[in-house]
Amino acid sequence: MVSASADQSDVERVLAGDVSAFEGIVRRWQGPLINLAYAFCHDRSRAEDMAQEAFLRAYRRLANWRREAAFSSWLFALATNLYRSEIRRVPAHTVRLDEVAEPRDPRAIDGGLEELDQERALRNAVATLPLKYREALLLFYFHDMDIPAAAHSLGLPAGTVKARLFRAREILRKRLARTVPQPRLKEAR
Amino acid sequence: MSSEEIDRILSRKGAIVPSSGFVDSVMHAVRSEASTPGPIPFPWRRAWPGLLVAGLAVVAVVVLSVVQVVAKPAVFAARLTSAPELRTILETAARFGVGWILLALLVALVSAKFSMRLAGT
Repeated sequence: MVSASADQSDVERVLAGDVSAFEGIVRRWQGPLINLAYAFCHDRSRAEDMAQEAFLRAYRRLANWRREAAFSSWLFALATNLYRSEIRRVPAHTVRLDEVAEPRDPRAIDGGLEELDQERALRNAVATLPLKYREALLLFYFHDMDIPAAAHSLGLPAGTVKARLFRAREILRKRLARTVPQPRLKEAR
Repeated sequence: MSSEEIDRILSRKGAIVPSSGFVDSVMHAVRSEASTPGPIPFPWRRAWPGLLVAGLAVVAVVVLSVVQVVAKPAVFAARLTSAPELRTILETAARFGVGWILLALLVALVSAKFSMRLAGT
């Protein structure tokens, strides 16, 4: 709520001609916008470039923000649109699922390493998803598993986002079943 | 891997911390944007009388030409047939649409010159 009123106040000041007020918006939202960009491109430097372009676009279109929607929703929708276009224009570098390093000795897996490999395998599997499923998945988790928020950012109906999430999970489970080794049962002492 | 495991792993928030110069870089770009003058709008208020006269002139020429050809076809044909070489040239040009090509080039040249004059170059 504090953020919402601060956003509104800064927007009013910028529209009144005080450009320096935009810095408050940048400071509040730089983290989420850069992390969202990183989820798309997996390149820190490129993520910052994309986030900078998103802020610049937000500055140009500030007068278009309709006050009935939260500023964050408007900002994320604008950024998502930009990031999707950028990734279509220059796809992110992806690693093939079969290039993911396998554990050296399956019998000696430490629980933490196994989990790290699982996470790495999952994230690489997400990166190899078809774009429309990947976008739905990224925005869903970015918005803390809030389907309406993700749908708003994507400019899609909630039902479409749900369907794409379902399909994305199906694809992920199939792909991971082929590459991630199933955990072995511990031997009884 | 179960849905719960997928949710658990993918909902972990990213740990990307913005670089120290990010805010300054954004604000520099925003200030440059703010100080750049906007694009020059087309001066419709000054241009429309001239455009209107030019349009009416073109329409008048076309109408008068058509009226002349329709009213006195014999005279028009006689002018054409009196110069056989000219008729051959005209027929060949008409076959290849040279007339339309010339008209398009003329319009493009006039537009370019007019634009350059408006922009002050």
